[in-house]
Amino acid sequence: MTAVALVPFATSLLLAVGGGWLGRRLPPAAATRLLTTACLVTALATGFILAVVAFTLLAPLPPLAAVGHWSTTVVRGHDPLPAPAGLLPAAIVIGLLAAATRRAVGVGKDLAAAELTCRRLGPAPTGLVIVDDDRPDAYTLPGLTGRIVVSTAMLRALPADERRVLLAHEHSHLRHRHHAYTQLADLAAAANPLLRAPAATVRLAVERWADEDAAATTDNRAVAVRALARAGLARAGTAAMPTAALGAVHTDLAHRARALREPPPKPQPALVLVLAALILATAAAAVGTSRTTEHRFERAQATFAHRS
Amino acid sequence: MARRPRREPGALEREILAAIAAAGRPLTPAETLAELGVPLAYTTVMTTLARLHDKGALTRAPAGRSFAYAPAADPDTLDAALIARQMIRVLGAGAQRAETLARFVADLSPEDEQLLVGLLAAHQPAADVDSADGGPRR
Repeated sequence: MTAVALVPFATSLLLAVGGGWLGRRLPPAAATRLLTTACLVTALATGFILAVVAFTLLAPLPPLAAVGHWSTTVVRGHDPLPAPAGLLPAAIVIGLLAAATRRAVGVGKDLAAAELTCRRLGPAPTGLVIVDDDRPDAYTLPGLTGRIVVSTAMLRALPADERRVLLAHEHSHLRHRHHAYTQLADLAAAANPLLRAPAATVRLAVERWADEDAAATTDNRAVAVRALARAGLARAGTAAMPTAALGAVHTDLAHRARALREPPPKPQPALVLVLAALILATAAAAVGTSRTTEHRFERAQATFAHRS
Repeated sequence: MARRPRREPGALEREILAAIAAAGRPLTPAETLAELGVPLAYTTVMTTLARLHDKGALTRAPAGRSFAYAPAADPDTLDAALIARQMIRVLGAGAQRAETLARFVADLSPEDEQLLVGLLAAHQPAADVDSADGGPRR
């Protein structure tokens, strides 16, 4: 194995440490797209390289060499590790693959439940379903067509301008298929647990994306802040008194509120380039490892054929 | 005022549906316009209401020289609240549920609550101060 094979692991660590920061600095749409891509490419590359390492280490074992018709000494190369060490990466790959599969099945079930609910809710010509419910709630339901579901209690809790913000926010989720990004990032995080933090950042980024789309429908961003605050408190059903300092809270919601109190985000071409370069380097490392390994096995097979 | 910076097609239709549902009673075009609280042409609201009626999203009954529009509650969608609650239970059942539902605001932590109360107080527009308790409008 060469140092190139370590690149995807370095990327995982970089994303684990810096993904949150990048996702908060980039404009939300760019953050969503780039971080989701980075998570997917990194998860695939780390899984692939672990599998290649496992197979290369295990290949000199006589049963495998006999089946594959390769020379054990050539395929072993200069690897310092004994062949049974390959069992560790093999076990990790199988475990991660199982986790990813379980996650994919879970996502599929959730999507099926959402689609079924869309159908049972009946045709909604505008995409909006208003449910007569005294619990304030508002969410977007993905599906082939998708629905925006808002309860009457939530509509009553908001003034007209804030209702418009809420509807625009949920419509943005539907129109840009935000659930696909969050679910793909979650899947990548299941296949590579180092990617959990960037996957969480993707969830925050889609909310910010919808917040920005919603804020664009009003000429006053304060309306969007109010809508967020009033809808959140209506859903929590509380009437707490203001005591905490605004800057001291570090939750995702606090980030959204602070971002809406600031002017719209500016493009960050330098950060976009850095992240794009990281994605390309990771993909290239996987391709490169695949090439070197293929070459090694070809030589081993040629030696084997020459000898017999 | 430079209004309507960006408008999705269909956004006005959803806003009108929401306005009528929030009012909780049938609304005439003039009342709908007042409920929307935006400077729109009366005819725009009237045409949109008629279109929503054509699509089957609203029912209407004669009221004076105009119509009063109400949400179309056909028998199939009466239990929409029930269907929605069932689905939330199903989606909540998975230990690690994917973010299938995109909530406007997710569950709040105590510090989130305090933050939001503070924000609401800080961003109360002058005209709205007398109803600053966050309760129902008007």
